[in-house]
Amino acid sequence: MASTEEQLLVKKIQDGDEQAWSTLILRFEGRLTNYALRKIKDHSSCQDLVQETFLGFLSNIGNFDPSRYIQSYLFGILGNKINDLLRSRDKSKIIDHAVDSSGNQLDAGHADSAMGASTWYRGDEKKKLENDALIKCLNLLIEHLLQKKDYLKLKSIELLFVKGVSNLEAANILGIDNRTVASHRHYANNFIIEHLKKLHLSPDVFPQFSQQDQD
Amino acid sequence: MTITKATLDAFIDDHLNEQDSIRVEKAVRESPELHTLLKSIVASRDIGDHSIGAIWRREHLSCPTREELSSYKEEALDTQRIDYIKFHLEIVGCNACQANLLDLNSAKGPKANPAAREKHRQFLENSKLLLPKKQ
Repeated sequence: MASTEEQLLVKKIQDGDEQAWSTLILRFEGRLTNYALRKIKDHSSCQDLVQETFLGFLSNIGNFDPSRYIQSYLFGILGNKINDLLRSRDKSKIIDHAVDSSGNQLDAGHADSAMGASTWYRGDEKKKLENDALIKCLNLLIEHLLQKKDYLKLKSIELLFVKGVSNLEAANILGIDNRTVASHRHYANNFIIEHLKKLHLSPDVFPQFSQQDQD
Repeated sequence: MTITKATLDAFIDDHLNEQDSIRVEKAVRESPELHTLLKSIVASRDIGDHSIGAIWRREHLSCPTREELSSYKEEALDTQRIDYIKFHLEIVGCNACQANLLDLNSAKGPKANPAAREKHRQFLENSKLLLPKKQ
């Protein structure tokens, strides 16, 4: 959840406070520009994309949930805009890119990932609840591992889930046994499933749990 | 590099480093099976399926805070935490955290030249007009 100070900043912008708007731009402009520069070398184009990102944020400010992290939201919008630009330059697209990255299309507080008219755009309350539940469970898992200072397990799970490598590759990167990585994956899945059940959600609604152990 | 469903998921989210991204793109172009799998992932996202990786990446769930990145830069954290943040930056290759760190390291900032500064100033002034009207 966003800090109280950040929530207050959003509320001020929602009330039309110009100083708060300037503060937000100054705070996030540098990191957003550096993010864009990693993908697009032309500084002027990057500056345009960052400014469009801020406009996307502003056009949805009335619906923005102040408890949400501004940074994640802004990076989400910017990521979509970067992908739109890169794919418009690439004549031979390999993915049908069906999503317009216009901030106007983002619903109540959700900047989506790089592509796909995914969950957030469905406007489906049930799907949103499921997503929120999964976010809660993942946060609990990460907090749990950090409290135990079990960084090896966290690294292993992050490689599997976030970077999408196989058990064997994760084992090679971390210099550990393949079976240890498999046990980490198993641990994470069980942790999430147990906590989903506590939230009265069936793990069956998350198809990934039936596919996780395949590789 | 083994390309799994989760790898393609990360590819869609543009979360792979440049080399891996090129490898995956080449593999998808050459393999009808991978291309079909990629399409099915996009389709399943379209109907609202949940992916742990996509949610983790989008919400930046394991990203250190800006303050922590600043302390990382100064090596003012315990060694385990420093080691983890290094892993997150370099092995996982988190673009958002790398951008944050670059920004923290940047003395001049992104508006070093006069043209960029002017563009920034104009944007600030013009965008204020779009703010909600004060009650």
